[in-house]
Amino acid sequence: MTVIFVLVLFSYSQIAFCAALIFQSVSKATCWHGDLCPLPAHHTQLISPYVPYMQAEKVLLEMQDPKKGVKSQPQRLVITTIPHAITVCALYSNSFFPMLSLARQLLNSCSGFLSSEARSFGSMLVALGYIYPLQDHKRLVIKPDASLYRFQTPYFWPTQQWPVEDTDYAIYLAKRNIRKKGILELHEQEQYNRLHKWMNHKWDFIVMQAKEQYRAAKERKKPDRVVFDCQERAYWVVHRPPVRTHTHTHTHTHTHTDSYQTCTTYTGCRLLPRVKSSVSIGALVKYCATYNSHDPFLSKCLPSNPWLTDDVTYWTLNMPNVEIPTKMRVERWTFSFGELLSDPRGRDDFRLFLKKEFSGENLAFWEGCEDLKWGTAVTMREKAEQIYKTFLARGAPRWINIDGKTMEITVSGLRHPHRYVLDAAQTHIYMLMKKVSKHTRSDAQLEQNARNRRPSLSPIILRQQELEQRAKMAASAPVDITQLCRFTTPVSHLAVYSGFTDSPSANASPSLPFVAPTPVCPSPISVALDSNSASERRAEAGEGEAERNPEARAPAGGNVLKSRMALSLRRLLKRGCSPSTMFASLSPKGQAAAGTSRIQPLCPDQPSQAPPRRTGNFFQIKVDIPPECRIYPIESEDEEEENRASSRGGVGAKEIICPWESLTPQNGTG
Amino acid sequence: MGKEECKTMLDALNKVTACYRHLVIALGSTSDSQNLREELKRTRKKAQELAVANRTKLTSLLKDKTISKEDRAEYERLWVLFSSSMEILEVDMKRSLEIGQDFPLKVPTRHLIQTGMTGSTTTVAARAMSVQNMKYEADSNIDTADLRDLQSEICQVSTMMEEMEMKVQVAPWAVEAKQEAGAELKSSMSVGNSSVGVISICEEEPKEEDGGGGSGAGFASTCAVFVFVVIVAVAVVLGYLVINMS
Repeated sequence: MTVIFVLVLFSYSQIAFCAALIFQSVSKATCWHGDLCPLPAHHTQLISPYVPYMQAEKVLLEMQDPKKGVKSQPQRLVITTIPHAITVCALYSNSFFPMLSLARQLLNSCSGFLSSEARSFGSMLVALGYIYPLQDHKRLVIKPDASLYRFQTPYFWPTQQWPVEDTDYAIYLAKRNIRKKGILELHEQEQYNRLHKWMNHKWDFIVMQAKEQYRAAKERKKPDRVVFDCQERAYWVVHRPPVRTHTHTHTHTHTHTDSYQTCTTYTGCRLLPRVKSSVSIGALVKYCATYNSHDPFLSKCLPSNPWLTDDVTYWTLNMPNVEIPTKMRVERWTFSFGELLSDPRGRDDFRLFLKKEFSGENLAFWEGCEDLKWGTAVTMREKAEQIYKTFLARGAPRWINIDGKTMEITVSGLRHPHRYVLDAAQTHIYMLMKKVSKHTRSDAQLEQNARNRRPSLSPIILRQQELEQRAKMAASAPVDITQLCRFTTPVSHLAVYSGFTDSPSANASPSLPFVAPTPVCPSPISVALDSNSASERRAEAGEGEAERNPEARAPAGGNVLKSRMALSLRRLLKRGCSPSTMFASLSPKGQAAAGTSRIQPLCPDQPSQAPPRRTGNFFQIKVDIPPECRIYPIESEDEEEENRASSRGGVGAKEIICPWESLTPQNGTG
Repeated sequence: MGKEECKTMLDALNKVTACYRHLVIALGSTSDSQNLREELKRTRKKAQELAVANRTKLTSLLKDKTISKEDRAEYERLWVLFSSSMEILEVDMKRSLEIGQDFPLKVPTRHLIQTGMTGSTTTVAARAMSVQNMKYEADSNIDTADLRDLQSEICQVSTMMEEMEMKVQVAPWAVEAKQEAGAELKSSMSVGNSSVGVISICEEEPKEEDGGGGSGAGFASTCAVFVFVVIVAVAVVLGYLVINMS
């Protein structure tokens, strides 16, 4: 019985052994994918630009040791046998993979676990071209099965100091053309044609050299010829991978050292906007022309360049929070809305202007968004919440008026606030403010503002509103604001109100850059104005220029108080008179035009004229300017003279009477 | 005429350059040997002689102001051929210096890369030198001694090329090639026959190897299955005997 039992046990053990054998052989035959999936041939992330070639070469040299190195086997082909083919197992199971000492223990005839370092090192060797696969030569991968590889000859090793030459590639392609009797692969054909086009001057040489090299190769024995062909082919697979390169930048060399950068170059090139050079150069020229006179190094700056004369007046005059901004500074604000906002002084003025327009929350919101964007990450969340509570939530104290879609996006984004969550709303508000500086806003918006305003209104505001209402009803013809917003090119130095002094009519009445629409206005204004000095009148002319705080600026000379009162009165009266056309007067170009030609006297002469004509008269604008150029009045030269005489900087700038304020009631046409 | 002379000399230089490249490719591999180093040296010297001769000839031809426009264009084309050959020669010389330094022959532990090339390059060198058989009479320390010569020769070649650039004003990009695309196929049709076998080997490798590998795996598994069946049969027989006996 025991004998029987022993026999049965023996048979079962045999069965188990056979099963194990079968399993092993089956698993050996399949190629392992998944976890051991090799990297694609054109991976770029693995190879950093600074692969230590020297270390790889050292390891390779040591791998050649007949005793301790990689064991090779002969490769059997149809007609010949070529030695020195290695398998992955042989590659990994030599003692010169120090990181593999553990792996070797785990390795059990290739069915064990291969450590990731070993895998990556092997893949690197193949991808760089130190080892090339004999089967499937186009995919430079390491396969953990019985596929064969061979070492590359040192001449074809990738070393950074020997750049891969197109000439060599052309010779190789020509040789291949000879061998394959003109039937090249698609990518090879493409490259061949391309090289023929670009290296045409060397083509004779390439053909000659290809033929000679081909004949020289034939002098060798057959196995060596096969090996040589495989070597060269592998070399060019590494350095000119068979990828259809449609997007050909000048960097068509795909060496692995710079393939990472090439990838980023290609993606970058795809995303670049394509602009005609004439357009971009035109923009550059325009920028230079505009800013040329504002650069203290390129053109003379007043009073003097501190770097040259050690006189710091220029800096003190241009401090961020100076009370009276200089003329040049103000002129700069006219260049674009962005300039105005970026200058703190300009921003203050704009803020005050908006306050009068009852839309100061827009600027506050914009500033809050900027704060959020540029602030520290720690405070972001609270800032976003604060902004939401103050500006965006329904019933917020300073609710801003943005369209429903933007609001939706913003509110949904605020659930996960990040730095740029308010970008859409901010852009909307920015555009709005930009438009405000050019046009008056629509009635609806104003009403909305009025609705959202705080309940307490100062009596002045109430009176203004009254006047606005009255004027609106009394306005004879609504002036289309779009007609008025025509601009001329900016004048670099201040506009000369030449017409101002020249035209006789200008002297007769205040040279207010108004178009007086109604008969209601002229008399009080002219009365008011006649009582003023000429300087006042001139200062008034400059009022169209900026939306600076009119109250803050005192005109030059001694009659500050008097002029102030007169100005405010005038302003109030003007409110009744002037249409929204005044807005356009804020354009510096408008001023320039007005200055260079005739500034029409406003009220007395104009009531009989049709509004379009008035505007035409006023502006004399024939040239278009891009809409970005904000209409922003620039000071008149007369004021400049005045200013120079009195204090440095902008007396005229001070004398800012915001015609917008008077225009806001009439913005029914806007 | 000078043109034919030039052309033949350039052809010779071209041939030598091609052979030199083949020899340098074999450097550092298992087909590397003392003979190879000597072959390299002699080929290099021949290439230099040819280069100098070519240069003098072409320079004199190009400096001649009395030649016609077509002649000048032709000489410029030959000049471009010459300078391209020289560029390739210079690069190959520099690389052979580098590889030669990395792979010295007379060291106790000599590690040459097992590239699979085992044959000699005698025939290639013979072709370069235009001789029937090569005779080797170099010393045993040619690999180190030669390197010094090589360095000086590289310097010579570099200076020669610089002089060339200075003396002769030829715009290489302005030269128009006479050969069109695919010109290499025309004269090489005759030489293609014997190489077909070579091509097919290279291209058919994948199919061969895959089949071989697959069949190998199949054979092993069939053997295992057969053995298993035999053992099962033995076990069944034993069991039957056990039942019979008890």
